[in-house]
Amino acid sequence: MLTLLRHRAVSSVIPLLVVVLGVFFLARLTGDPANLYLPLSATPEMRAEFAARNGLDEPLITQFGDYLAQVAHLDFGESLRTAQPAGEAVLRAFPATLQLAGWTMLLAILGAVVIGSLAAYRPNSATDRIASFLSSTAASVPDFWIAIMGVLVFAVTLGWLPTSGTSGAAAWVLPVATLLIRPFGVLVHVVRGAMVSALSAPYVKVARGKGASEPRVVFGHALRNAAAPALTVAGDLAVGLVNGAVVVETIFGWPGIGKLMIDSVLQRDFAVLQAAVLLTALAIFALNILVDLLHALLDPRVRQRAAA
Amino acid sequence: MPGPGLSRSRPIVTSLVVLLAASGCSVAGADPVGGGPGTLRIVLPEEPPTLDPCDASLTATGRVTRANITEALTEREPSTGDLEPALATKWTRTSATSWNFTLRRGVTFHDGSPFTAAAAAFSVERATDSAIDCNVDGYIFADSELTATPVDDTTLRVTTSKPDPILPLRLSFVEIVPVGTDPDSRVREPVGTGPYRIDEWNQGRYLRLKRFPGYWGKTPDFSAATYVWRAEGSVRAAMVTNNEADVAIGLAPEDGAGDRAVEFATNEVSYLRIDATKPPLDDIRVRRAVNYAIDREGLTTAVFAGRPSGQLVSRGVTGYNPRIAPWPYDPERARRLVAEARADGVRTDTTLTIIGRNGIYPKAAEAMEVVQDGLLKAGLKARIKMLDVNAWLEYLLRPFPTGDTGPTLLQAQHGNQAGDAAFTLGQIYGSQGAQSSYGTAELDARIDRAQLASGATRQRAFADAFAYQNDEVVRDAVMANMTGLLALSPKVRYKPDSATNDEMRLADMRRAD
Repeated sequence: MLTLLRHRAVSSVIPLLVVVLGVFFLARLTGDPANLYLPLSATPEMRAEFAARNGLDEPLITQFGDYLAQVAHLDFGESLRTAQPAGEAVLRAFPATLQLAGWTMLLAILGAVVIGSLAAYRPNSATDRIASFLSSTAASVPDFWIAIMGVLVFAVTLGWLPTSGTSGAAAWVLPVATLLIRPFGVLVHVVRGAMVSALSAPYVKVARGKGASEPRVVFGHALRNAAAPALTVAGDLAVGLVNGAVVVETIFGWPGIGKLMIDSVLQRDFAVLQAAVLLTALAIFALNILVDLLHALLDPRVRQRAAA
Repeated sequence: MPGPGLSRSRPIVTSLVVLLAASGCSVAGADPVGGGPGTLRIVLPEEPPTLDPCDASLTATGRVTRANITEALTEREPSTGDLEPALATKWTRTSATSWNFTLRRGVTFHDGSPFTAAAAAFSVERATDSAIDCNVDGYIFADSELTATPVDDTTLRVTTSKPDPILPLRLSFVEIVPVGTDPDSRVREPVGTGPYRIDEWNQGRYLRLKRFPGYWGKTPDFSAATYVWRAEGSVRAAMVTNNEADVAIGLAPEDGAGDRAVEFATNEVSYLRIDATKPPLDDIRVRRAVNYAIDREGLTTAVFAGRPSGQLVSRGVTGYNPRIAPWPYDPERARRLVAEARADGVRTDTTLTIIGRNGIYPKAAEAMEVVQDGLLKAGLKARIKMLDVNAWLEYLLRPFPTGDTGPTLLQAQHGNQAGDAAFTLGQIYGSQGAQSSYGTAELDARIDRAQLASGATRQRAFADAFAYQNDEVVRDAVMANMTGLLALSPKVRYKPDSATNDEMRLADMRRAD
């Protein structure tokens, strides 16, 4: 298990460097931040002074070298917009996104296991067809539309939920529900598929023959074997959530990393953007490692391969 | 029998749930929604990036700080354009480059210290001379140098390096802070003399202001104000209809504020900048044809909110020329002018590129389609290229993109927040202006003359420069004076004005009951 962990950590370094490099140079391709931060009537001298103060007058390669040296000391630079440390802004925003993504995945997985298993229990039954239709629809509706419709229906028309914000449990419902729909739709498909083949496997027949109860057969025996593929997909979906939170956080005013990223792209706030992407990439790598570990826990074959 | 894998993963799931539930509480309960009838709840499109008073010329900062937390020596009355006393009760010009300001007595800052000429001098120097790169410095003072000295406790002398007839107006942008304010870095929670002080700024979530009991002026109706921010216009509107907010700003007609919506004239003017350096736009007949080809009435009734306009500043701004009418929609005349130019060998079949900016105002792309349609009917060729703000700024500001962009019409908008045409003409119409693609020596001379004049002469000189531009240069096609939209809950009475987008005075918001 430790070998697996070490191997994954080492192989994550290079992609991480590529991400850091890519964000650094791509951000600078979007244009001169002086256009946004200085008044439209700024003189060329004011622009030169702005560039010098923010180290933007150096050659790109020098800027990148300086940046790497800073990051090595855990200094992520200063936000152009707020003049505050970029690292602080990112660390303040990250927990809000993690909580949102965590609840979403938990509910998506629980819901998908129940619905997917029910659908797989009698393939082609009415339940199965309804579940398949709804999950296909859910997997393909745009977040933005769901979010706005959610506000219109549940906040404005029915008045059951707040439109946005973070106060109280009710404020979580719309953001989580919006984020939940796509992963839920995808996972129902995966769980159903895996369960259909698991339920027709010989060991299920053996279990039934031994007189195990139906819930025990479905949730105890078949589900355990169907869990591995579902887990892999859930890992990918969770990665998507961290980034997909951009739309949801922007609409609901959720103070998370997605909103911070979109704001810093629009404001050409390079330091904050770089820090946010770096931390997100780290989180994604950590998540992937976690998924691998869980996978190994569930599937002895993976464990053996890693140990070999 | 459950396998070893499942039994081991169960604690993981359980602990994840516990962790989430525990962490959930830290975000939950963070917003002070509610706050009782004495609290005014305002929803803004964005969080102020900074509250430093010297950045109050940034819209997002100014609409929270100006006249609420901090105050200036003078203030401009948006409807008349007159300069009114604020922390200064009167001012006199003592020489071409020197002014004396008499300061209000009995004013204290939120920290209890008295407001004196020393504080005023310190604030002016901090905003204009310090290394902290205040936005107001570049925006209002550009390259002008000034020195502020206290003469006695209630008299401030300000001298400028060059004669500056609108110095008192410029100073209406300098928010006054106490002497102890950090001169070397931005302050997060400013201390001022305004009717409200900062209670709590929970970054990313909300900002709460509390009424300042020691305020020198009239006590405002609401004892506290809470600002939250939501990027989506329809959500801001819904917050008012859903009784989660009392005031929502920056709305578009389609955001659905319904009968809670209040419309008001802003100082924003939408226009197309004509690149008069490239054929066929280098021919004034073609530029006039572009103007006749645009159906301004159609645009302002069917596409966006506003009223047709013929100049870049709105009523109330010094230099506004009431005699300049919007160009009439006359497709026939546009066609004749293009044909005439073509007969003289002007290459009117060159494709014009309309460079638009997504979201510059509601239905920005649709507006450009209306323009394109008009140009095609006039016998010109035109295509539309919609850009996002960053890419668009490259076209707006010098140095302009090299490479062959061909003749362009740039979708733009200008809001003269300062109230004097000096902030419009030089940068937009001067031949070397930061946003100018074309100018003439004669127009430059008229602008320069106007900038040094004062009083009625100044008004006439600027009005004349606008008229000259409109008749003889035709550098752009002004379309409309734009309309703003905000939503108010039944709890609040408030009359927005042309300055509302940049400055929202909490003291002007009254309880309806």
